[in-house]
Amino acid sequence: MTRFYEIGQRPAEVVLHPSGDAPLHRRRVPFTRRHWFKWRSRLNAKTLEQERMLADKRPLWWALGLGALAVAAPFLSNPMLTIAAIFCIFSAINVLWTLVIGTAGIFSLATLAIVGIGAYVSAAMNVYLGLPWPLMFVAGGVAGLVVGGFLALPSTRLDGLYYALLTMGFAEICRVFVQQLKALTVANGSINNVDSFIPDAWQLQRPGLLLGFAGAFVILLLALLVFRVVNSERLGMLLQTAREDEAFAEATGIDYRRARLHVFLISSAGLGVIGAFYAQFYGSISPQVFSLDQLMLLFAMIVIGGLGRSEGAVIGTAIVVLIDKGLLNLGPVRILLVAAIMLIVTLFLHNGLAGAREQFRGWRRRKQSEARARRTEKGGEVMPEEAIEIADKQEVYYRRFQKRLRERLKALITPELIEEHRLNPLGHHSDALSRVLNHFRRGEVADKYAIMRQPEAFHAYKIVAFSGVRGAPPRLVDDKTYYDINEAYHAVFLLRVNDLMEA
Amino acid sequence: MTDTRIFGYADPLAARAGSKIDFMISVEGRDEVAARLVRVLHGDENPEGPGYVEEAVEIDLPAALAVKRQFTQVGSFARADDPMGRLDGLASFTLFAHVFPTLPKAERQQIMGRWDIEGSKGFGLGIDPDGHVAMWLGDGTGGDEIRTEIPLVPRCWYFVAASYDAATKQAQLHVINCVTQWNSRISTVVPFEGDSWIKETLRHGPGATAGAASFKLASATAFNPVRGHYGAFLFNGKIDRSGVYSRVLTRDEVVGLAKGAAPVADGLVAYWDATANLGRNGVGDMIRDTGPHGLHMQGVNRPVRCMTGWNWRGEDSYRLAPETYGGVHFHDDAMTDCAWEVTHSLTLPEGLKSGVYCLKVSGGGAEDSIPFIVRPKTPRAKLAVLLPTFTYLAYGNEHLSYEAPIAQAITAHTPVIVAEDLEYKKLDEFGLSTYDHHTDGAGCCYSSWKRPIITLRPRYRLPAMNFPWALPADLSLIWWLEHAGYDYDIITDHDLHAEGLDCLKPHACVMNGTHPEYYSEEMIDATEA
Repeated sequence: MTRFYEIGQRPAEVVLHPSGDAPLHRRRVPFTRRHWFKWRSRLNAKTLEQERMLADKRPLWWALGLGALAVAAPFLSNPMLTIAAIFCIFSAINVLWTLVIGTAGIFSLATLAIVGIGAYVSAAMNVYLGLPWPLMFVAGGVAGLVVGGFLALPSTRLDGLYYALLTMGFAEICRVFVQQLKALTVANGSINNVDSFIPDAWQLQRPGLLLGFAGAFVILLLALLVFRVVNSERLGMLLQTAREDEAFAEATGIDYRRARLHVFLISSAGLGVIGAFYAQFYGSISPQVFSLDQLMLLFAMIVIGGLGRSEGAVIGTAIVVLIDKGLLNLGPVRILLVAAIMLIVTLFLHNGLAGAREQFRGWRRRKQSEARARRTEKGGEVMPEEAIEIADKQEVYYRRFQKRLRERLKALITPELIEEHRLNPLGHHSDALSRVLNHFRRGEVADKYAIMRQPEAFHAYKIVAFSGVRGAPPRLVDDKTYYDINEAYHAVFLLRVNDLMEA
Repeated sequence: MTDTRIFGYADPLAARAGSKIDFMISVEGRDEVAARLVRVLHGDENPEGPGYVEEAVEIDLPAALAVKRQFTQVGSFARADDPMGRLDGLASFTLFAHVFPTLPKAERQQIMGRWDIEGSKGFGLGIDPDGHVAMWLGDGTGGDEIRTEIPLVPRCWYFVAASYDAATKQAQLHVINCVTQWNSRISTVVPFEGDSWIKETLRHGPGATAGAASFKLASATAFNPVRGHYGAFLFNGKIDRSGVYSRVLTRDEVVGLAKGAAPVADGLVAYWDATANLGRNGVGDMIRDTGPHGLHMQGVNRPVRCMTGWNWRGEDSYRLAPETYGGVHFHDDAMTDCAWEVTHSLTLPEGLKSGVYCLKVSGGGAEDSIPFIVRPKTPRAKLAVLLPTFTYLAYGNEHLSYEAPIAQAITAHTPVIVAEDLEYKKLDEFGLSTYDHHTDGAGCCYSSWKRPIITLRPRYRLPAMNFPWALPADLSLIWWLEHAGYDYDIITDHDLHAEGLDCLKPHACVMNGTHPEYYSEEMIDATEA
C-alpha cells in the first residue's frame, strides 16, 4: 500500500476501517432512536477506503475523565479524597443549575437555597421524626420540588435581572428564617447528628471517606444523566427553538414557557435530593449553605466553566474547588485567585473554558479567510488552499486557462472594435471581434445575458440574465427598453465587454 | 402575466379530415373558457412580413368549454400490477435490486417499495438526502429508518438488499458493489471499498398501506387533496433486476443474488427481470415479473429500456446479449404523456381544407392556440407539403438557450426570449426535447405530442436564433402557397413513415418543410423509391 503524505488538519486522528462484508451493528440507546455514538463515515475519495471516525468525541472524554477520577480515588490522601467528594457534589449542583440557566434560560440564584431546604427538611425529618436515611432522599426531592414550584411561578413574569434579585433575596430569607427557628435548630441554626449512608463507625475513617466519595460520584453521574435526558431530548429541543426565536417557537405551537417550568421543576427536585445527600455526607447542616459567599463561589464555577454546558459546569467546579479547598494554606489569597481567573475568563472568552475550543476555531477560520481574501488579486485563479477542495483537478487548470484567455482578450478591446460591433452586431466580423464574441458566447449559462422581447411591441427589448437553474426565471439587468434589435445586441456586447474589463 | 393560465394539446397532432381529435386542456383560475377554431395561414409577427394571419372556421363548438386544472406526473417510474395486494402488508421481507445511481440530490429517492408519504406508512428502500442507502418503515403510529454510514458513489453499479424481521424487529441493509472493468465510472484498478452491511433493531415496522400507496420502482406515493395520488421521491439512475421475498434472506443468499444467481423460489414474491421481454425490435413499457404471481411492472413516462445492466461486458447491442441489458434508466424529469382528461373531442368535417389549424382557447385575458395538422380525407391536390413533424417533436419545448452553454457560440447570437417561454420553463412540467439533458446529465431520448409544446405555437420564434423555426417557419411556406394561389395537400412525417410510398404517390410534387432533419428508414425508402 502506498503511503500518502499526511495532509489535512488531523493526520493523527484515529480512523477505523470497517469491512463492508462484516455486519456493522448500529446499536441504540434502549427505548430511543438514538445511537450510542455519533460516527462520521466516509468513502475516502483518494484511497477509496471506508473510514469511520467518532464525530462527537465528548462521550469519550467524559468516560476518560470520570473513569480516571474513579480509578484514582482509592489512591488519594484523605484530604484529597474529601476534596474529590466535594467536587462531585458541587459539580452535580452546577450541572443541574446549568439546566436552569442554560437550557431553561431562567436566571435563578436560588440553587443553593433549594439544596439547603432539601437538606434541612430531610435532616429535620430524620432527626426529629426518625425518618430512615434512604427515605431522606425522597423527602429532600419532594421539598425541592415544592420550593421549585413556588419559585417557578414568578419566573415567567419577571425578566432576568429582577428574577435573579428575587431568588437571591429568597436565599437570604431562608438563612434568616432558619437561624431564627430555635425550635428546630438548637445550635446556631444547624441540625446535627443526621443519619447517613456512611455507618457511624466509619465516620471520618478511611472506609467512610471512600464510601462518601463513592456516593458523591454516583450523585454526579445521576446529575449528568438528568442533564443529558432533559437537555438533549424533547424538552431540550423545544427550548433550543425557543432560545433562537421565542415568537417563532410560539407560532409553531411550542409551549416553551411550560417546557421551561418543567425543566425548572425537574432540576429543583434533583437539587433537593442533592441537599439530602449533602446533609448525610456532613452529618449535619448549617445556615452557611444559604450564604451569599457560597453562592458567589458557585457562580464563579459556572462562569469559569461556561454557561449552558455540562462540561463547563464540571470543569469550572474542578478549578474553583481545587483552589478553594486544595490550597487552604494560601489563606484569603485563594479567593482573590478565583476572582482573577473569573475576570480573565470573562475578558477573553465568550463562553467560559468549555467554549474556548469553538472560539479558537472561529478565530482560526477568520484568519484563514482573511489570508485568502488578501490574495484575491490573482484574478480568479485557484488558490493553493482551494485546490485541495476541488475534486476535479481539470478545473484548476481550466480556471488558469480562462484567466490567461481573459488577459489576451482584454488587449483586443479597442474603441474601433466596439464601433465595428455597433455597426454590424451579427457579422461578418474581424478576427479580433470574432475571438472576443466567441469567448462571450461560450460562457456558462448562469448570469449569461439574453434579450427579452416585451409585450408592448415586436421590436421592444430589454436585457435579462439567465439564472442557470432550470425553472428559475432570468433577472432583469436594466430597465432600459431598446426599440431596435441591433441596439439590444450591442447593449449586451457592451455589458459583456464591461464584465471582461473588470474581471 | 394574468391570473388565468391555459395550456392544452391535441391528440393526435395530425389527422385526416373526417376523423376525431381530442383536446386536453388545463386551466388555472377559471372553470369555463371559450373556444374557436381557426386555420392559421401565417404565424410570425415580424412587421416586415404579413404578420399573424388566420381564417375563422365555422364548426360546431360548444359556447363554453368546462375546464379544470389538470396535473402532470413528471418523472419516470414503474408501478406493479398487484390487484391482490400481495406486496402490501408484508411482515418479514427482503427487497433487493441492482442499482446504478446517477444523481445524489437533496431529496429522498426511492428505489423500490410501497411507501405512503402522506401517512408515513409502508416500506421503502432508497437513497436518503445525504446519499446513503436507507430503508424507511412506518406503521402509521411512527416511522423508523436504517441507513448505511457511507454514501453511494454515483455512476457505479451496486447490489442493494434490505430486510426486516418482524419477530426480532431487526432490519439489515446490504450494499455490495458490482463494479467491474466494464460497467461503472471507475474501474477495478482502484481498490474500491464501497460495501456496507448494517444491522439495527428498529422501533417501528412496516404497516399495510392499502390504497394509500402502490408498489413502485423509482418512486414512492404522495398525496395531495386536489391532485390525488402521484409519484414522488423520484429516483435518478438505472435499476436492473429487482425483487421481493416474504422472508429474511441469509447473507449467503444475498451475496448469491448480488453475483447474479437466479433467485431461489422459497418465499419469492416477485422478481422483475427487465431482460425477460427484450425482443429484436425493442420492448414496451412493461417490466416482466418472472416470479410466481406475475406482478408485472408498468412503466410511466417511458423509463429508458435496453440500457446496459450491471453484468454488461461490452457487447455493443442489446440484441447480441440481451441478458446484459437489464438496465432501466429512470429520470425524475422525464415526461412523455401528460395523460390529461379529454376536455373536448372534435370530429373534423370531411370536407375540411387541409392545413394547419389551431383551437384557440381563451378566458380571463389568457389565450392558448392548440395546434394540429389536418390532411385531406383523400388526396386532392397535385402538390403536397410534407410537414416534418418528426423534427417538430425532436425540438419540442427545447431548452437550448437556457441550458446549453455552447448554444450561443453555435448560433452566433444572443438569445431573444419571450414571456410565454418563461411560463413554460417555470412550470417545468411539459417535458424536454431530444436536444436537452435530464437532471442527471443523460440525454433525453423521447419526445411526444401528448403535452403542450410551445415550439409548435404559430407565433413562436426559436430563442437561440430569434427567427421562426419548425412549424412556425413552415407557415411562411403555407402563406406563400396561399398567396400565390396554389392548391396543396398537407402530409406529415408520421403519414410518410406509416404509409410509405403510398403517401407520396398521389402527388405530382412534394415540398419539404424548412428543416426536415429526422428521417426514418421507412421515410427514406419511400422517398427514394
